[in-house]
Amino acid sequence: MARSLWNGTVTFGLVNVPVKLYSATESKTVHFHEVHAEDGARIEHRRFCAKEDREVPYEEVVKGYEVSDGEYVVLDKDEIAAASGQRTHVIAVEAFVEIGEIDPVFYDKAYFLGAGDKGEDGYRLLHDALERTGRAALGRFTFHNREYLAAIRPLDDVLALHTMRFADELVPGDDVEYEPPEQGPSGREVEMADKLLESLHEDFRPKRYHDEYREAVLDLIESKAAGKEIVAPKEEEPESAPDLLASLEASLGGGKRSGGAKRSGGGKRSGGGKRSGGRKAKS
Amino acid sequence: MARALWAGSLSFGLVNVPVQLFSAVRDLDLHFTQLHEKDGSPIETRRFCAEEDREVPYEEIAHGYDLEDEDRRLVLTDEDLASVAPRKTRTIDIHAFVDLADVDPIHFDHPYFLAPSGDSEGTRRAYQLLVEVMRSTDRAALGRFVMRTKEYLVAVRVRDDRLSLTTMLFADEIRDPGDVPAGGRKPSKAQLAGAVKLIEALSEPWNPDDYEDRYRKRLQDVVARKKSGKRIRAPKQEPQPSPVPDLMAALERSLQEAQGRGGNGKRASGDNADDDGDDLAGLSRDELYERAQQADVSGRSSMSKQQLIKALSR
Repeated sequence: MARSLWNGTVTFGLVNVPVKLYSATESKTVHFHEVHAEDGARIEHRRFCAKEDREVPYEEVVKGYEVSDGEYVVLDKDEIAAASGQRTHVIAVEAFVEIGEIDPVFYDKAYFLGAGDKGEDGYRLLHDALERTGRAALGRFTFHNREYLAAIRPLDDVLALHTMRFADELVPGDDVEYEPPEQGPSGREVEMADKLLESLHEDFRPKRYHDEYREAVLDLIESKAAGKEIVAPKEEEPESAPDLLASLEASLGGGKRSGGAKRSGGGKRSGGGKRSGGRKAKS
Repeated sequence: MARALWAGSLSFGLVNVPVQLFSAVRDLDLHFTQLHEKDGSPIETRRFCAEEDREVPYEEIAHGYDLEDEDRRLVLTDEDLASVAPRKTRTIDIHAFVDLADVDPIHFDHPYFLAPSGDSEGTRRAYQLLVEVMRSTDRAALGRFVMRTKEYLVAVRVRDDRLSLTTMLFADEIRDPGDVPAGGRKPSKAQLAGAVKLIEALSEPWNPDDYEDRYRKRLQDVVARKKSGKRIRAPKQEPQPSPVPDLMAALERSLQEAQGRGGNGKRASGDNADDDGDDLAGLSRDELYERAQQADVSGRSSMSKQQLIKALSR
């Protein structure tokens, strides 16, 4: 396992459980760095003073918060850190809540919590008791100088910690303009849509989905490294189906004939298939 | 309403519902700008070629990828990358519906809302139909779509009577928790029963509005105080509590305390209008600090918990 990112203590009531924090996710997006096209040399980002038009060493750079147009309040590191709170190595549980009540939209970034030194038994107890009660522990903690609200919940044999979005950071559904139709969907449409959903129903098996774009980029790197020529594919336009009921019927009808579910099942691979077709054309 | 980030159609089977995509989160963080200390003017970053030591216009920048085994750098152009860019299909292709309960939220990345695009009756009806059917079956639709140059795996579900879309991480982007130290001995029955009781005593309904971003508020406060020329001092760190030697004893005492409070948790006190100085001792330093902020107590940021209580009960 990678090194822990943070060490601290979860406290609830008078119980203290030493814990360690690990990242639970890692982006696998292929990253490039900026290079100069003509000589392949690294691009450096250099800091310039806009007024003096000269390069500025890092020591002369400060952080400013723009309070009004062009007016900045400068804060040094310690002043910014003053906002981070006093208990930077404690997650004090403020409440336990039913996990099912928390809409996942509140979860921001995910971490794993592991047991810290001398905290093994307390960790197991917290894990098992959360699992038994179906609850998550909510508390605040400071990480990288910023205070977060976090939810701790059991995930298989370990505890997961999610930093949480605050209610005011979420756009309410009402902000999404939507006027319901004058006439709601008919009973027949609901029935057909139900059937269609049923025919496309599957178990969730996350391992089946691959990042085809990432794979394509890695393939591209390989071809380019081997000195192959790269050719761009064409764009396609989508078609639209105006009649809802007819579309539903056609989808279901197709399901019987050539497999509505299969058609979309094919869709899973279609992106990659089409793309790899495109790549074949290149070589 | 904010501008749509993407427009296209949601398509499953042969049904197409024209939709627009909006972010479901907004950034309320305070952002800082880099300034030159001497004259307070903003810092610009300029791109320089490390070899030639000269500024390079944006058009001359390409994408470098270091081939580790061969110890050489590959240079890819925008055109190279465009050749593998996913086809801009303008559709969110739904290929399966899964039970929402089966999808662990750890897979979810960024949340968005989908709104019907245009006000044709047919579009609105198709949108409404999906909302109704997905809500009643507690299912999420899985699909793929292309935004900018990247293809995303997404889950579409119903939230706030709207279709919401969440980009998803791929399975290999979620780490295996197998190596996380997952604790020691299985708790005894009595310990588990004690912990369950304590959790229940400290349980509350989930009310997201109860929690506000105190960090943001404190940072705003720091900015305001600095602006008016006040000094800002970092608060002293409280020591980290040590692990309890006897879990059972700690559970029992915690339970007594929790029940002594009426079993309703301490947060309730914050909402209680009848609260007066007598209850201040029961508040955390954070909560006291917040009150001190409201009451504009001077010097509050460097006060201890006891000092805050004193200042607030005056």
